[in-house]
Amino acid sequence: MTQDLIFNLGLAFTFISLGIYLAGKFKFSSIPFLILLGMLVGPHAPELHGISFSLVNQTESIQLLSRLGVLLMLFYLGLEFSVGKLASAGTPLFKGGTVYVALNFLRGLAFGWLFFHSWPEALVVAGITGISSSAIITKLLLDLKRTASSETEFILGILVFEDVFLAVYLSVLSGFLTSGGNMNVVEILPSIIVIFGFIIAILTLGRRIGKLLEPRLSVKSAESFVVIIFTLLLLTAILVETIHIAEAIGALLLGLILAETVHSKRVIQFISPMRDLFGAVFFFSFGLEINYRLFGDAVVITLAAVVMTVVGNILTGLFASWLAGYNARRGFNVAFTVIARGEFAIIVASLAVAAGTNEILPAFAALYVLLLSFTSPVLAKNSRNFYNHYIKLVNIIKKPDAQSS
Amino acid sequence: MATIKEAELPGLGKKFEVTLENGDIVSVIIHDEGTREVYHFSDGDEDPSSVVTLTDIESRQLGSIIGGAFYQPKMLEKLEAAVADLHIEWIEVKPDSEVAGKSIGDMRLRKDHGIIVVAAIEGKRDGKKARRGNTRINPGPSYIFTPGHTVVAAGTKEKMKLFEQMLDNNNDDEGEN
Repeated sequence: MTQDLIFNLGLAFTFISLGIYLAGKFKFSSIPFLILLGMLVGPHAPELHGISFSLVNQTESIQLLSRLGVLLMLFYLGLEFSVGKLASAGTPLFKGGTVYVALNFLRGLAFGWLFFHSWPEALVVAGITGISSSAIITKLLLDLKRTASSETEFILGILVFEDVFLAVYLSVLSGFLTSGGNMNVVEILPSIIVIFGFIIAILTLGRRIGKLLEPRLSVKSAESFVVIIFTLLLLTAILVETIHIAEAIGALLLGLILAETVHSKRVIQFISPMRDLFGAVFFFSFGLEINYRLFGDAVVITLAAVVMTVVGNILTGLFASWLAGYNARRGFNVAFTVIARGEFAIIVASLAVAAGTNEILPAFAALYVLLLSFTSPVLAKNSRNFYNHYIKLVNIIKKPDAQSS
Repeated sequence: MATIKEAELPGLGKKFEVTLENGDIVSVIIHDEGTREVYHFSDGDEDPSSVVTLTDIESRQLGSIIGGAFYQPKMLEKLEAAVADLHIEWIEVKPDSEVAGKSIGDMRLRKDHGIIVVAAIEGKRDGKKARRGNTRINPGPSYIFTPGHTVVAAGTKEKMKLFEQMLDNNNDDEGEN
């Protein structure tokens, strides 16, 4: 098929715009809509009476934009993060956050092992199911007008915590996957240690490296600034690739370094429109790759994962907010809000695909995100009702006690 | 004075929680992209009794209205806004004051006293029409201090104190304030 590149891209963006428009209309996050549309008009589109809906081809240009999308999303993640922010969150968050992230991850790991009997896959599944979506949750909090509630600080703190965890997790994952899922710990351990050391160094020395970069970035012209930043991003991606670290992690690390400079606000300003643009292409392109005919194999495991995530997350969420010193009422708000999964699940899945793991994983991730992104807003909206039911239940259990005593 | 609590909302912006004297809480959230949300919690309530979302420009306008830039309550004779070391005050020219009838140039206000007159508002602050049209922004050196006018001036704290005395009555003994 020799289709004009711009024509194909134009079609792709038409559907992306449609997806984002629909998402805005229904007040949902745009991520599931983009994936769904990608599936419906991509190379694996459904056929009705011999007419194929396959309108958009997966071309090299779309793949390039989508790769840039991942780079920019992780770069932005690093930029937003700052060690100071984490420190100011205080010990209650630290306790609750670590426990929450650790429990979720272990649960995912056990679940993955149960279904795949292989560590690389288990690790990927743990990443997909363990890290909530900052984009969806932040949007939820805004829509539900809960930004001023005190538990919102805790929810956002958890998200920051997950970002830190994500950096470490991705480094381990990429070490694991580049070694071809080799289970020989002796062979992969060095590369994991190298990446780990690298990340710790960046986190602790980030401020110093940032200080070195700072004067060199003090350019007035907006044109040169944005070009320099973009070049830096690409060069970092190439650089880390040569030492066998996923380019996405390079972007994240660069973001972490630049976050410590005075330019961080300006970089964010220039980067965020690009991130939105290419990020949307990434989700759409992920959808293009998905063949819904493969869902048959993935349905059971996906449903199981969804149930596991919802139940498990409510329990860990309640436990974590109890540890952080919130009352049950606020704890319910926390537990029912942090369930959403989205961008990180998809990013992890796409990294796993690139490394050649079980081909069921992308379909699993897509279906999983679709299901959760539509159920989690409903759960979050009704957290108050769930709390009321819980109180009723407690009263029923307690009443006999009260009468007997 | 109300107590103000500040909290970081990573990914969203910043939250300022103001606890009022009657126990109510007003939470202002300044989003990174500029919009503001204002929540009002009645005393002890966990759910807000009202929420307002404002754009950046709207909140600046509303902020200056609350700050008293357009109209000051009659109760307060003067209004003081302090930004770092710069003080801006609204002061009324009294009939028997030292400066009444003299011009800014006569007084050599900027050169000798370090006072900058930002605006002169004609007419007392009682009528509805007193505000608009009768405000002279940045009056030249020829502006004559007229009793009844309100002068908006900026300067350091000490200079402003002296200037206040110049506009006040009892021009003879300056120490009395």
